Amino acid sequence: MAVRPFPQRIDAASSGRGRLHVRGYVLRRYAAAYLFILPVFLLYAVFVLRPTLQTFWLAFYEWNGISVEREWVGLGNFRRLIDDPIFWQALRHSLLWTVVVVVFNLVVGLVAAALLSGNIRGRLLFRLGYFLPVVQASIVTAMIWRWIYAPTGILNTSLDAVGLGFLARGWLGDFAVVLPALAVASSWMTFGLSIVILLAGMQGIDPTLYDAARVDGAGRRRTFLDITIPSLRNTITIVVLLSLLDAFKVFDIIWATTQGGPIRATEVLATYMFKEGFQKNQYGYGSAIAVALALIILVTSVVNVTLRERGDD
Amino acid sequence: MTSPAIVAPSGVRRGRLGVGSWLVYVPLTILLVFAVAPLVLAWFTAFKSGDQIIQSPFLPPIPPTLDNLIEAWTVGRFGVYFKNSLIISVVDVVGMVVVASLAGYAFGRLRFPGQKILLYALLIGLTIPVAAIIIPLYVTMRDFRLLDSLASVIVADIALAAPIFVFIMRAFFKDLPRELDDAARVDGASEFQIFWQIMLPLARPGLVTVALLEFLWSWNDLLLPLVFLVTDDLRTLPVGILFFQGRFAIDHGLMTAGVLILSLPVTVLFLVFQRDFVKGLASGALKG
Repeated sequence: MAVRPFPQRIDAASSGRGRLHVRGYVLRRYAAAYLFILPVFLLYAVFVLRPTLQTFWLAFYEWNGISVEREWVGLGNFRRLIDDPIFWQALRHSLLWTVVVVVFNLVVGLVAAALLSGNIRGRLLFRLGYFLPVVQASIVTAMIWRWIYAPTGILNTSLDAVGLGFLARGWLGDFAVVLPALAVASSWMTFGLSIVILLAGMQGIDPTLYDAARVDGAGRRRTFLDITIPSLRNTITIVVLLSLLDAFKVFDIIWATTQGGPIRATEVLATYMFKEGFQKNQYGYGSAIAVALALIILVTSVVNVTLRERGDD
Repeated sequence: MTSPAIVAPSGVRRGRLGVGSWLVYVPLTILLVFAVAPLVLAWFTAFKSGDQIIQSPFLPPIPPTLDNLIEAWTVGRFGVYFKNSLIISVVDVVGMVVVASLAGYAFGRLRFPGQKILLYALLIGLTIPVAAIIIPLYVTMRDFRLLDSLASVIVADIALAAPIFVFIMRAFFKDLPRELDDAARVDGASEFQIFWQIMLPLARPGLVTVALLEFLWSWNDLLLPLVFLVTDDLRTLPVGILFFQGRFAIDHGLMTAGVLILSLPVTVLFLVFQRDFVKGLASGALKG
């Protein structure tokens, strides 16, 4: 996102005759520019930047959110965080979540994008269908999948119908499957976006590579593995990082289905932070969790942006 | 979409379906069913009576009943929640279009000291997840005595999403031909006149993207209204559904009616403006 240098016309004009006049003019343009960005920066400063700094600052205190007194505890909250098994458990959950989402969004997404990029009928229908879940609210996803996964829900009914009844279970009550089950629900509402991103990447591959492969007699699978996949390196990394970001930020789907349960089996950073902050009124410790969350996201985002910029060149 | 066929077999051409095309259409169709069926089944269920839900979970609602929707709208108070969601989303859209186009114009076409630093300051905002700042944001709203008002959600929505939309609008303004405003400036037009009369009309595609995405995000948002709004009369649809399921856990008819009320507006918007949504969401995938 480099700022493109502006044409230097005004500066050129400000030398020689009419300099004072031009300077007044330039100042008026500055004033206009500052006025134009003022509303955004007022809102941004008060409701984004300041709370961000406060999160870091609150993490050094113990505070119940109400009393005027805040107790400075230094690094106490962070030390407690490092010793907190639930924190590590939440991190592991996010990583497992990422694995499920990546397998889904990347593997399924790559195959679907490759198939779609051919000259096929009904491409619009497929694209509309795949993208439909992307625009749905996460609470809609949560409700629908809660209903699918219910003990007498759609999934178990279907399994019974095809003779796989022995696989039926209370999907959201079973420690072993609840986290991947919810991650699949999350993938349901994001894989359409992955397909679009991967398709865009495929459009950017130099067609002569495929011609060359054809001349060399490479089959479809060879071409896909030897040309498409390596050419999509950056795009694939972006899809993985976006899945990672989703996995660490996830809150809605879990909160609306299991609230982190059963017994913390689906606890992630955001749900843990929410409980500590708003339910136990431990604003300091909640903020320390939030700081960890923010740092993880920041690092992932910076890597993501860097790759994206490189991909643009 | 004129790229070479990457794996599609050569037998697949418009108007001719070869044997190899099964390899293409079967997986794509399975995936299509996976994407669409859960939503469609939920919509169907919203129109079913209690008996139909149990006896024919996979069939269309024949005959359909409006009982669930009516009960959800009135007894379930989804009418109230719908109104609140609509107010928040519409005000969000109008506010965002105004502030993001002004700032996007300044960053894209004007030059002023500190421009780069201010742009980077906004860039940070793209990476901050809402959950990470929700605690001090809650305290801020309390200090401003905005808690439990639609205004708290509106200002937070706009502030949090502003960076991405400023970047989108900046990109649109940057690509407009430079001769336009130079000519207007020579004619003595003020900066605001240039923005309002010349640039804004040309940036309409960008404004449409901003309006659609801001509507989608604010309409679907759960966390901010969940934290800021306490009174039941002020709840939005997503929060309403969340608490509703807590009270009436087993009533799938009412629950899917709520899902239908929440998902129908964005689905219709998506079908009408699908190109803008796909492009906008793909480029906005970085949003925190």
